[in-house]
Amino acid sequence: MSHRLAFLMGMLDWKRPVRVLVLGLLPILVPGHLEAEKDRRVAPAEPAANPNDSAEAGRILAPDGLRDFRLVPSQVGLRGKGASQSFVVVATDGRGLEVDLTSESRFDLTNDRLAQVTADGLLTARSDGELQLRADIAGQQLTATVHIEGTGRARPFGFARDVVGVFTRNGCNGSECHGGVKGRGGFKLSLHGINPREDYRWTVKGGVYQVLSPKAAEPFNPRVDLEEPQQSRLLQKPAMDLPHGGGQRFERDSADYRTLLEWIRQGAPYGAGGSGSRVQRLEVFPREAIMEPGTRRRLLVTALLEDGRSQDLSPEVLYESSDPAVIDVSPAGVVRALKPGQARIAIRAAGKLVQVRCGVIRQPLDRYPRVAGRNFIDEEVFDRLRELHIVPAGLSSDSAFLRRVCLDLTGTLPPPERVREFLADRDPLKRENLIERLLNSPEFVDYWTFRFADFFRVVYRNAYSYKSWIRESLARNKPYDHMARERVASQGNGGPTRHFIKSISGEMMRPHEKMGEDVRVFLGIRLDCAQCHDHPYETWTQDQFWGITAFYGQLTRIRSLSAFMDDISGNEEQPEGPKVTHPRRRQEVAPRFLDGSPPATLGGNPREKLADWMTAPDNPYFSQAIVNRVWANFFGKGLVEPVDDFRPGNPASHPELLEALAEDFRRSGFDLRHLMRTIARSRTYQLSGDLNPTNREDEINHSRALPRRLEAEILLDAISRVTGIEEAFAVHEYVGGGTEPRGTRAIELVPEVTPSQFLEVYGRPVSRDSMPWRDYRSTLRQALHLLVGSTYTSKIAAEGGRVGQLLSAGASDREIVRELYLAALSRFPTAEEETRLQALIEGSPSRRKGVENLAWGLLASRQFTYNH
Amino acid sequence: MDLPIDQLGCCRPRREFLRVGALSLLGLNLRQYLALEAATPAAARSKQRAQACILLWLEGGPSQIDTWDPKPHSQFNAIPTRADGIRISELFPRVAGHMDKLAIVRSMHTEENNHPQGTHYALTGHRPNPALKFPSLGSIISRELGPRNNLPPYIMVPEHQETDFFSYMDAYTSAFLGSEYDPIILPDPSQESFQIPDLSLPDTLTAADIADRRSFLQAVDRGFRQKEKHAEFGRMDRFTNQALTMLLSPKVKQAFDLSQESDRTKEAYGRTRVGQSVLLARRLVEAGCRFVTTSGYAHGAWDTHKDNDQRLRDKLAPTLDQTLSTLLEDLQQRGLLDSTVVLAMGEFGRTPHLNANNGRDHYPDCWSLILGGGGIQGGRVVGASDEQGAQVAERRVTMGDLFATIYKAMGIDWTKEYVNPGGRPLYIANSIDDVMGQPLHELV
Repeated sequence: MSHRLAFLMGMLDWKRPVRVLVLGLLPILVPGHLEAEKDRRVAPAEPAANPNDSAEAGRILAPDGLRDFRLVPSQVGLRGKGASQSFVVVATDGRGLEVDLTSESRFDLTNDRLAQVTADGLLTARSDGELQLRADIAGQQLTATVHIEGTGRARPFGFARDVVGVFTRNGCNGSECHGGVKGRGGFKLSLHGINPREDYRWTVKGGVYQVLSPKAAEPFNPRVDLEEPQQSRLLQKPAMDLPHGGGQRFERDSADYRTLLEWIRQGAPYGAGGSGSRVQRLEVFPREAIMEPGTRRRLLVTALLEDGRSQDLSPEVLYESSDPAVIDVSPAGVVRALKPGQARIAIRAAGKLVQVRCGVIRQPLDRYPRVAGRNFIDEEVFDRLRELHIVPAGLSSDSAFLRRVCLDLTGTLPPPERVREFLADRDPLKRENLIERLLNSPEFVDYWTFRFADFFRVVYRNAYSYKSWIRESLARNKPYDHMARERVASQGNGGPTRHFIKSISGEMMRPHEKMGEDVRVFLGIRLDCAQCHDHPYETWTQDQFWGITAFYGQLTRIRSLSAFMDDISGNEEQPEGPKVTHPRRRQEVAPRFLDGSPPATLGGNPREKLADWMTAPDNPYFSQAIVNRVWANFFGKGLVEPVDDFRPGNPASHPELLEALAEDFRRSGFDLRHLMRTIARSRTYQLSGDLNPTNREDEINHSRALPRRLEAEILLDAISRVTGIEEAFAVHEYVGGGTEPRGTRAIELVPEVTPSQFLEVYGRPVSRDSMPWRDYRSTLRQALHLLVGSTYTSKIAAEGGRVGQLLSAGASDREIVRELYLAALSRFPTAEEETRLQALIEGSPSRRKGVENLAWGLLASRQFTYNH
Repeated sequence: MDLPIDQLGCCRPRREFLRVGALSLLGLNLRQYLALEAATPAAARSKQRAQACILLWLEGGPSQIDTWDPKPHSQFNAIPTRADGIRISELFPRVAGHMDKLAIVRSMHTEENNHPQGTHYALTGHRPNPALKFPSLGSIISRELGPRNNLPPYIMVPEHQETDFFSYMDAYTSAFLGSEYDPIILPDPSQESFQIPDLSLPDTLTAADIADRRSFLQAVDRGFRQKEKHAEFGRMDRFTNQALTMLLSPKVKQAFDLSQESDRTKEAYGRTRVGQSVLLARRLVEAGCRFVTTSGYAHGAWDTHKDNDQRLRDKLAPTLDQTLSTLLEDLQQRGLLDSTVVLAMGEFGRTPHLNANNGRDHYPDCWSLILGGGGIQGGRVVGASDEQGAQVAERRVTMGDLFATIYKAMGIDWTKEYVNPGGRPLYIANSIDDVMGQPLHELV
């Protein structure tokens, strides 16, 4: 423990003399500004205008000349009778915003016999030939070429497109309705029409979905009635001719109703679902929309078919806004910007998903200040902010940066001496130097061992050698792909094999449990739901789940050695036997990677092959998952959030940044310190928390530093450090009782064996066989503990603590206020704070009581409890 | 990671969930959804409104044929009770005298056969799942009814004695609902040293001290407060005010103070861990708690793999008979019986036949529990087991049905669904195969 206690000396290994005198005064003058000023030498390219100057940032420009008029699409081929295509007209306004001018445009055709066009740009084919669509707008004439063929025959009917399209558009196959795992009301559909063949069977033949069998169960109630098509439940339910839990989905005689009726009348064929016409991918225009409140845009959704053709699906898809208060979207695909913020429009058809990223800006800025970035992170973040007309906050003060970076890299507050030194340091590279010192400190290894112990599931059943392996790996800066490989493919009884052990029982984990954990940890994917059924919201299937599980099937524990081995069949503990059986198909499953491909060879240790596949440079998930987790450490949330829930429906807030970070991480040789250094050096990370009129509402674009509550362990260690009183952690009786050695920090504990009221009240995760879940929300119990709990009350008053030492050393009230501020908040008090607090101490019943109350006030403050 | 609950969209009725915008998970738009909502059966809101629930947790799983579903092959005779035609084991003569207040369910059917999993199942209605967490009954009731009279809504007394409470923790906690709906866990109140952590001012601190401290806090945090409007800060302020009210309220302090009870009452409940815990539970619901998990049997007490009959006769049954009947009498005397649901159960039943050690093993297929008070019809039996007490012969009752019954008694919309942070809908009364449980209409 001693090196931890010796933090005061050892942490940053600063050899320079402490220039207390000079520094003591400096921050009192103007803590933030001076330091930000000095910093300009590091980053000479500061914003031309002060971004926090509200007059500057808030000025509005009247819309002026439009430019870059476009008619979209500019060229299109239509096939079949009645085929149609929507067109939109867009232009860029004087402030760089793309605006939709479709409804202001006048459309006409070069040949009215071949097609017709409505006032809002919907063109319908009449007969074969080629023509031009013209759009007149603001004196400009735009043209698009339309090629029409095959109008002699109707487009062949297809269940997959036409009927499933009705299901999708009306929400029938959403996860809460018939697309749920078990369907609804005895009628099951595949989620968002991902599997039309199965949908056909459920619709035409009926039957009840069974989770554990591929066979449908009784009763078999077909949803179609070929004798009396109008009596089909498929029509009567959604039209509410029969009671329907899902309510009325469409009117009788609506277009959707007629589509279904016509299909049943024709004998409910599967029809043309086959090759060629299947939808391979959806595309949408625009991919991204930056809008002002009150404006509208029309979305164009195009299906790319297997035969290379494309087709306008805009009127036939399901549109959903992730935040209808910010952006809403009509069933026809017209989005409306309601208030500043961001939202995604998810568009679903034929089991496919495409998303539009929408930003609603508060007010366009006429002059956007130049904000100089330091590295590629800043380029990505600041480009996005510029698009959204949000001006980032200025650079953080030195003291704010110091506290933040110490907490994020080492989980430890800097002691007052180090704060003074850092503030006094005149080296223009002092922030970079600090980052290096922290990356090489023992506290860095302690803190990241704690982080990884959480993430890798270190529990009392496996703690000791496992945790040493993590610590050793981090201390040596082992490339992260090596860590992953050692863990996934490990055999024997060394540290990295210990994750095969269950948290509570100490049993060996079952293959599917282990697989689920490894995939979540290393690929950021939650496959667990697919154990029993295809993933309810995403494309993960039960087959993928069991295919990847099969890599773990041969694993055996040799009890006498507590060792794990592959390829020894029939040994003592092998929960599933050497074979992994698919629970629905009841067939043995061969190992398959998540993409469905099998390993080139089998035999030996199959998890080596799995580890190869996972860590391969072309596996996008592996690097993205870890850079996202590390990012979350520095910003409070991941670019993908939750950090272990990568899936198409939950895209990253900054996809390009995520990829750039992952690429940089791969190129660095999977170097965790390099990644952290890159993040910590970025201006994005070093922004202040200051508000300006443009970033006030922003919580996802990194336009300023947002406060993050300290985690239970970090908070308790910080309280111990500020009060100067170590926590004595009790050890649970069932592992022998007693207490942890003096000086043990909360971040070193194994939760199960060290019950702690404080840590539990502040949300330390305890249930360790499932996903670690940290609760950062405030609670009544925290409020109670803060007011009267022993952690605060007795530590502050304890003999030998910081308060007592300051008093007995004869420090003045002013010195005490400053010293406690440095210890708790890593800054000097402002002049106002100093005056006010000195007065409060003087007015207290006793001086000691006053100083104790001051210490409590600091520890209870938001500034202390949060990293900001 | 740090989203307030309302942004996660969880624990709201579905209608509100949609309003906050997680539509994509549902495949519906708001208009469509509202139509769906209107078509679902109206939530059955009972006129009766129980205010609180006491769960006597019979940890380990009591044997149904030796308690509430007597069979000829039990060592214990069946005795008549105050309710016509209802017979229970002779081990519970005093409870028999209260059978007019109690209902028996003899056809419970559950799905887990081991203690941690069975406990999880019985208290959440869900099997444990590595990917999902489920809120406990007490957490759900606390959230739906909210706190009363400044008391914490959900309390567990005494703390458990398991060697690894962690494996049981998920059964009692609030999952994604948030820790304000976790139980506050109290130590054993029958001990001399019994003290309640953080719910009253310590001797070293006066109300004036707290006021002084808060003026320091204000001076420190003023600037930061003006700048930062983090959503969580408002919550913390609300909790701080609530905490101050609690700490300064003599009523809250008194609620936990068993010394206010007469020796006679303490004797009546029994001066044991079980008796005093149940007495404290009564004080707590009287003062305003919503849900108290109590009883205080030692770990695995009812887990009679060995010497089932002897353990029941000598220890388990007499304590339960005394404590439960005293509780019912006490609640009635105080006019609390109509507003307090009392439920006594374990995590499963036991095999109807003795094993080689004269014990009975775990048995979830068919078992019994009793409940009463809070407007629940007494003197009734729901369901029946077969001759052996081995299978449900009549009216299978699931955990979801039981939960729905209690919700209905408490005026909670039992048809409600929560949506967890991953977007999965969960019935608060979840029955086997994720269907919605139905209240036992015979009882509520």
